[in-house]
Amino acid sequence: MAWPVAAFAQDSAKVYRIFWVSIQSQPDPFLDGFREGLRARGYIEGKNLALELHFGNPHALREVVAELRRGNIDLAVSSGPATRALTEVKDIPVLFALSGDPVALGVVESLGQPGGNFTGSTFLSLELAGKRVELLKEVVPTLRRLAVFSNSNHPGEQSEWRATREAAAKLGIEPVYVPFAGPNALDAGLAAAGEARADALLVFPDVLTMVHRNKIAQFAIAHRLPSMFGWSEYCEAGGLLSYGANQRATYFWLATYADRILRGEKPANLPVMQPTKFELVVNLRTAEQLGIDLDKSSVLFRANRVIE
Amino acid sequence: MTRPRRSLFVKYFTTLFVAVVVPLLLGSATEAWFAFRDNRFDLDELLQVEARSAADRIQAFTDGIRDQLGWVVQFPWTQGEDDRRRIDGLRLLQQVPAIVSLSMVDPTGTERVFVSRVSMNRTGAGADMSADPAVVGARANRVWYGPVHYRHDSEPYMRIAVAGNRAAAGIVIADINLKLIWDIIARIKIGDTGHALIVDDTGRLVAHPDISLVLRSGAGAGDFNRLKSEVSAANGSAITTTGEDGMPVVALSVRAANLDWTVIAEQPVQEAYESIRAALWRSLILIGLGIVFAFVLAYWRACRMWGPIRQLEAGVERIGMGQLDHRISIQSRDELEQLAVRFNQMAEELAVSQQKSERINRLKQFLAPQVAELVEHSDQRLLDGHRREVVAIFGDLRGFTAFSARAEPDVIIAVLREYYEAIGAVTERHSATLIRFAGDGVMVLVNAPVACDDPAERGVRLAIDMQAAVQSLADSWNARGCAIGFGVGIAMGPATVGTLGWHGRLDYTAIGSVVNLASRLCGLAEDRQILVDPVVSGHAKGCIALASIGERTIKGYDRALEVFAVVRADAPMRRRTSPELDLVS
Repeated sequence: MAWPVAAFAQDSAKVYRIFWVSIQSQPDPFLDGFREGLRARGYIEGKNLALELHFGNPHALREVVAELRRGNIDLAVSSGPATRALTEVKDIPVLFALSGDPVALGVVESLGQPGGNFTGSTFLSLELAGKRVELLKEVVPTLRRLAVFSNSNHPGEQSEWRATREAAAKLGIEPVYVPFAGPNALDAGLAAAGEARADALLVFPDVLTMVHRNKIAQFAIAHRLPSMFGWSEYCEAGGLLSYGANQRATYFWLATYADRILRGEKPANLPVMQPTKFELVVNLRTAEQLGIDLDKSSVLFRANRVIE
Repeated sequence: MTRPRRSLFVKYFTTLFVAVVVPLLLGSATEAWFAFRDNRFDLDELLQVEARSAADRIQAFTDGIRDQLGWVVQFPWTQGEDDRRRIDGLRLLQQVPAIVSLSMVDPTGTERVFVSRVSMNRTGAGADMSADPAVVGARANRVWYGPVHYRHDSEPYMRIAVAGNRAAAGIVIADINLKLIWDIIARIKIGDTGHALIVDDTGRLVAHPDISLVLRSGAGAGDFNRLKSEVSAANGSAITTTGEDGMPVVALSVRAANLDWTVIAEQPVQEAYESIRAALWRSLILIGLGIVFAFVLAYWRACRMWGPIRQLEAGVERIGMGQLDHRISIQSRDELEQLAVRFNQMAEELAVSQQKSERINRLKQFLAPQVAELVEHSDQRLLDGHRREVVAIFGDLRGFTAFSARAEPDVIIAVLREYYEAIGAVTERHSATLIRFAGDGVMVLVNAPVACDDPAERGVRLAIDMQAAVQSLADSWNARGCAIGFGVGIAMGPATVGTLGWHGRLDYTAIGSVVNLASRLCGLAEDRQILVDPVVSGHAKGCIALASIGERTIKGYDRALEVFAVVRADAPMRRRTSPELDLVS
C-alpha cells in the first residue's frame, strides 16, 4: 500500500524520490519533523521532491524492499522498528532513527564510521532506560512494583528491557514486563498493565506508543499510575514524566543528512548521530491529578520543561 | 631600387607600440604586486583575528567549566553529606550543559558521588580513584585537562578535574561532551567558505563546522595532524597548504593555552585570492585592451607616416625618370604635405626649365648662344613667321667638288669640320643667325630674328671675318695640295622669316628674293671675293670700302644689277698676284 504524496513536478529540475518507511500510519510527528527539515533545506514536495510513504508491520514492509530495488529511489528513511525490515537493502542509502543500538542491529559497523549504506540517528534509549527508572523512583520514592509497557516488535527492545531490569534491581524495584506485539495488541497490552498491580508505569519510547500516547497517558491517569516516558510528546499528552532526546529536533536534523546524501555523500562516511541534549519534562497537572508532591524531589529544578 | 633592410614603418611602429605597452605592463605589474601584498596582509590579519577569537572562546568555555567545578570543591568533606553533594552535582549538570557526568572524589581518593545525564547516579563510597590520572593530575596542578577520547567510537569527550584549595575539599572530575564546542566553531565564518577547526596535540579533530567529521572517532587524524604540523611550523603566519578536504587553503594556527589544542583558521585559496584574482584579471584585460589599442594606434600612426613617405619616394622616382608631369598628392596637413607641395613645385619648375632648355637648344642650332638666350628670354614671337628687312649672307667653297672627288672621306670630313667650326665661330662672334650648312655652302642671316643696328655693315664685317677665317684654313689645306677657295655673297631686303619644319625638326629660315640674290651673288663671287648688292652697298659704303664691279645680269632679275665688291684691306697678305678688282670679271 503505497501512494505518492506529491505529483512529479513538470520542470526539468531533478525530482528526488524518498521512501518513508514506518510501521505506523499517519499522523506521525516524526514525519512532520522530517518534512519541516527538508523544507528548511529547500526541498519542496511536488517540485524537486517526491516523498512516498510506506506503512505496515515489519513483515509487510519486506515488500517495500522489493519495491525499493525496482524503483529509481534516491533514499529510504526508516523510522524506528521499520529499520529492521530494511536491513537487506544494500544498494540504496537508508537513513534511520532508532531508539536502539544500530551496531547491535548490524546496519552500521560503528557509530563513528557506519561503513555501509545505512546511517542516521540513535536516541540512546538503552542508556537512558536506567535513568528513567531512577527518575521515576525519585518522584515516587515508595515505588516497589513497576509495570514496563513495551512493543515487542521494536528492534533492541529486549536490550532495553534488560537495562531496565538491571536498573530496577539496583533501586530495589520489581519490574513487571508487559509486552504487546504491534498495534492490534495495544489495547490488550494496556489491559494487562492495568492488572499488574504496579505502583508506576514505564513505557518504552516507540513509534507505536508514540502515536497512541494519549490513550496510554490517559490510561495511566485513570489507573492512578505515575508514568514515565521517553519523549516529551508523551508528557504533553498527559504523561507525568519524560526523559530523552527531542524527537522533533532529531527528525528535523535527519533531513540534513538526507540533503547531504542526495547531494552525493556516502552514508558510510556520515557518523550516526547521538543526541546531546536530554529533556526532562514534567507534567504538573498530571502530578496534581495523581496527588504527587513534586516539591519534595530534585526533579523540578532539574526539569527542562514543566507543563502546568 | 632595393628596399631598405629596416623599413621606417617597422621602426616607427615598434617605437610607438613599445612606448605604449611597456609603461602599461610596468604599471599593471606594480599594481598587481602591491595588491597581492595588501591582500595577503589582510588575509593574515583576518585569519589571525578569527583563530584568536576561536581560541579565546574555547578558553572561555573550558575556563567556565573549571570555575563552575571550583564551586563544588570549596568545602572540606564531612561525614554524611553525600546527598547534599549529589544535589550540588545535579545543579551543576543543570547549569553546564556540556558536563555529561560528574564524579566527586573525597580526599582519600574514593569516589563518593557520581551524577550523570545518561547513567544512573551513585552515592556512597565507590571505587578507589586515587590512581586515576585525573585525580593525580588535579592533586598536582589543581586543574587537570584530560586527553580527548571518543565515546561509542564517535563522540569526542574530555575529562576536567579540579581540586579544592585544600586537600580536604576533595576533587571533582567532569566528563565533558566536546560536541558542544561545535557551536563556537560553527559560528566562525571566514569569508563565505572559510572556517576554523580545532585539533588536539595528537592531531585528532576536536571541533569542526562539519560535525560529522568530528564524530568519525579520529578517522583522518593523519590529515589533520599533517595540517596541524604544517600550519604550526609557520609560527602564526598564514601559509598555503592542502586542507583536510584536499583543496588548497590558506591557513593559520593559534594555540589554545593550557589545552594543548591548536585552532586552525583556514580559507580556501579559491576565495582567499578571489579579489586579487579579480584584480589580476582586470589588469590583464586592461593590458590586452592596451596592447590592442597600442597596436592599432601604432599601426595607424606608422601608416600615416610611412604612406606619404612611400608616396614621396615613388613620386620622386617617377620625376627622376623624367615624368615631370607627375604630381604627389598628400593631404596629411603636416610637414609631409608641405614637402609634397615642394616636390610638386620642384617638378613643375623642372618641367618648365627643361622645356626652356629644350627650346634654347633648338634655337642654338641656328642662333648664337647669346642670341638664343636673348630670344628665349625676350619674346618667343620673334620666331613666328613675319616679314622683315634682313641681310642674307651666302658663302661656299671653291674647288670643293673636285677636291671631294679626289680626297679620302676622312679628309673630306676633317676639312668640312674645320670649315664649319670656323664659320660657326665667326657667326657666333657677330651674333648672327646661322641658318644652315649645305655641303660646302653656308647661309647666315643678320637682323633676324633679333634686330640689330646697322645690319648691312654688320653683315659685311661678318663676311670679311668669315672670308679671313676660311682663307686662313684654305691656306693650310692648299699647302697640303688642295685647291680650295671661298666666295661670299651678301644681299639685303625684305624677307619672310620664321621657323619651319616638321616633327621637331624645325629650322629657322628666310624666304624671299633677297635670299636668292645673296645666293646668286655668292655664285658670282670668286675666291676671296665678297660681292654685295646695291642695298647693302648703300648702307655700308660709308664705313667699309666697296667698289662697284659693274652691272651683272642675275638670274630671276629682269634687268642687270650693279654689284659691289668689298675692297680688301689686307692686300699685302694676298698670295695671288692679281689685284682685287681684277677678280671682278
